[in-house]
Amino acid sequence: MTSKIYVDLHVIQSVPPSCLNRDDAGSPKQAVYGGARRARVSSQAWKRATRLAFRDELAIPQNKLGVRTTRISSLLADRLRERTKIDAEAAGRLSTALLHDLKISEGKNAGETAYLLFFGWAQLDAIVDLVAGQVDELVALAADALAKTVADLPVRETLAVGHPIDVALFGRMVADLSTLNVEAAAQVAHAISTHPAEIEFDYFTAVDDQPRPDREDVGASMIGTVEFTSATLYRYATVGMHQLRANLGGDDDAAVQALGAFIRAFAKSMPTGHQNTFAHRTIPSLVSAAVRQDQPVNLVSAFERPVRSQSGLVAESTVQLARELTKASKRWGATPALVATEYDRPDGSSPDTAEQLREAFGSPLGLDAVIRTVETDVRTRLREIAPR
Amino acid sequence: MTAEHTAISGWYLVLRLAGPLQSWGGHSQFNRRDTQAEPTKSGIIGLLAAAQGRRRHDPIEDLLGLSFGVRTDQPGSMLRDYHTVSDLRGRPLLSATVNAKRTQKTTSPPKLTHVTRRFYLQDAVFVAAVNGPRELLESLRDALYGPAFPLFLGRRACPPTQPLLLSPSDDNPQTLWPGTSLLDVLRQVPWQAGEAHRRDRDGHRRTTLPVTIDDPSGDDIRADVPVTFDPHHRDFTSRRIRQEWVVLDDDTSSTREDDHDPFALLGGDR
Repeated sequence: MTSKIYVDLHVIQSVPPSCLNRDDAGSPKQAVYGGARRARVSSQAWKRATRLAFRDELAIPQNKLGVRTTRISSLLADRLRERTKIDAEAAGRLSTALLHDLKISEGKNAGETAYLLFFGWAQLDAIVDLVAGQVDELVALAADALAKTVADLPVRETLAVGHPIDVALFGRMVADLSTLNVEAAAQVAHAISTHPAEIEFDYFTAVDDQPRPDREDVGASMIGTVEFTSATLYRYATVGMHQLRANLGGDDDAAVQALGAFIRAFAKSMPTGHQNTFAHRTIPSLVSAAVRQDQPVNLVSAFERPVRSQSGLVAESTVQLARELTKASKRWGATPALVATEYDRPDGSSPDTAEQLREAFGSPLGLDAVIRTVETDVRTRLREIAPR
Repeated sequence: MTAEHTAISGWYLVLRLAGPLQSWGGHSQFNRRDTQAEPTKSGIIGLLAAAQGRRRHDPIEDLLGLSFGVRTDQPGSMLRDYHTVSDLRGRPLLSATVNAKRTQKTTSPPKLTHVTRRFYLQDAVFVAAVNGPRELLESLRDALYGPAFPLFLGRRACPPTQPLLLSPSDDNPQTLWPGTSLLDVLRQVPWQAGEAHRRDRDGHRRTTLPVTIDDPSGDDIRADVPVTFDPHHRDFTSRRIRQEWVVLDDDTSSTREDDHDPFALLGGDR
């Protein structure tokens, strides 16, 4: 019996004229696929949007999330002061001594690490727990004695367990101390348009509301262009549930909750580039989750032959995606264990098309139902495979 | 297949490496992350090791003995991705200069973003053949059907499209390829280019594809053999290679009716 569980997410989402993710020339990012130029949104742009959605839209409390910063030492000092009322200087000394064991290269600024470290707020509190009972004795010690005493405390071990869900999903790389590395459980692909996409230029002028009275009207006081594109995007991500559970200390419930949060945040988040210019926030037209016990299957090949449609790009993209999913099952034997999908049956679709969609995606569900269905299924499967 | 044939020939694992983006880094340091024009040996060994669930510090000696050849079925083109890094707290980044106390100054005027450049191959398709002991190849094949880690084409954000594994038999997708050499196998595998790339070449009955294969007496060198993936001791050594061409009969060249698209003649949508 296989010991893997992957959850593939396929999203089709249309965005109006917009510039979600741009390059150094200000153009929306692009890529060629199947010989046709496509609009592209990089994976890192959407991962950051997903991480921010954990906080802002899902309102996941801070102690369940991570923070990515060079300032672990001063954050730890702040936490020590809040908990034990020692003064700033003593908290700084204690914090430095506690983190010395990590041997993380120091940054150019005092108290900062040389690179961004991604860790959980709850992990910081757990480090404070290690010393909270004996702070007064510790701060009274001389530097050498303090270093020796705290050297025995399991600081490293504390940072290696109890990861917040964003660290567990997106991983962490610590160059100086590989025992702190966390292998990412989620893989996110660059989103690309299902169809050939054109970049357009919006020529704009801005008029001075208070022109100089001594001059004739000169017309615009400023002119410029903003580049934009509109696209129906295919977005893909996969989550290795066996990896996610291992990252979360073998806790099935925590892994299932993190998966639910990821599906919701990935589906509902949107990069904010030029957001106020284009008001581009849309919701997906299709969110399909496939639970697999064989291998992740990226269906972007459905759009290798770009969609050209008279009847709407979403409708045609949905049908092509369904065909590719069915083909993957039939021709390559890559049949998902479960598929749950939020989608609209395209208007005016023939009974054949409707049947094709149902065969691939199942009956349409709401996003909440998709998440519940997948969570229930994955929980059962996790019980059947032993943690590694 | 006769027993005699089996005895003189070897077995080969054949991978199809295709997706919108791939990136096969050679020397990737600092802010510029390059890609080579074809998959590297370290990239393929990394992919096989990831499929088996090996961690970065696990030994890979058995995989280093595999010999490797790659065919460029569709070369794709280079994509430069502009990638920025900024401080989540919205603070200015630090400058290279220090003040009298030797602490680093923040950038003035404040600079909020740091730029890195990542290079990808877009719209490329490769076929890679791997040769080694049969049991090892079979265990790798099984691992690729049920990988322990999600697989990627050189960089994590580049998942492969299916089918990743090619088989000589439609009936049994799990068979290895029989052959006498890497070159022999790379001659057998049908052309994997996409529809648009084929259409550009319509009318040609044969196609010539470049291959790069391991060859101890080859006259070219690639420094892309990993010693270990352990981040503490990451190191590469070199291998000798030979570059050749294979000529394939394109028996699949499309005769199918396309959707009517008058603009295709003008190279529309390219």
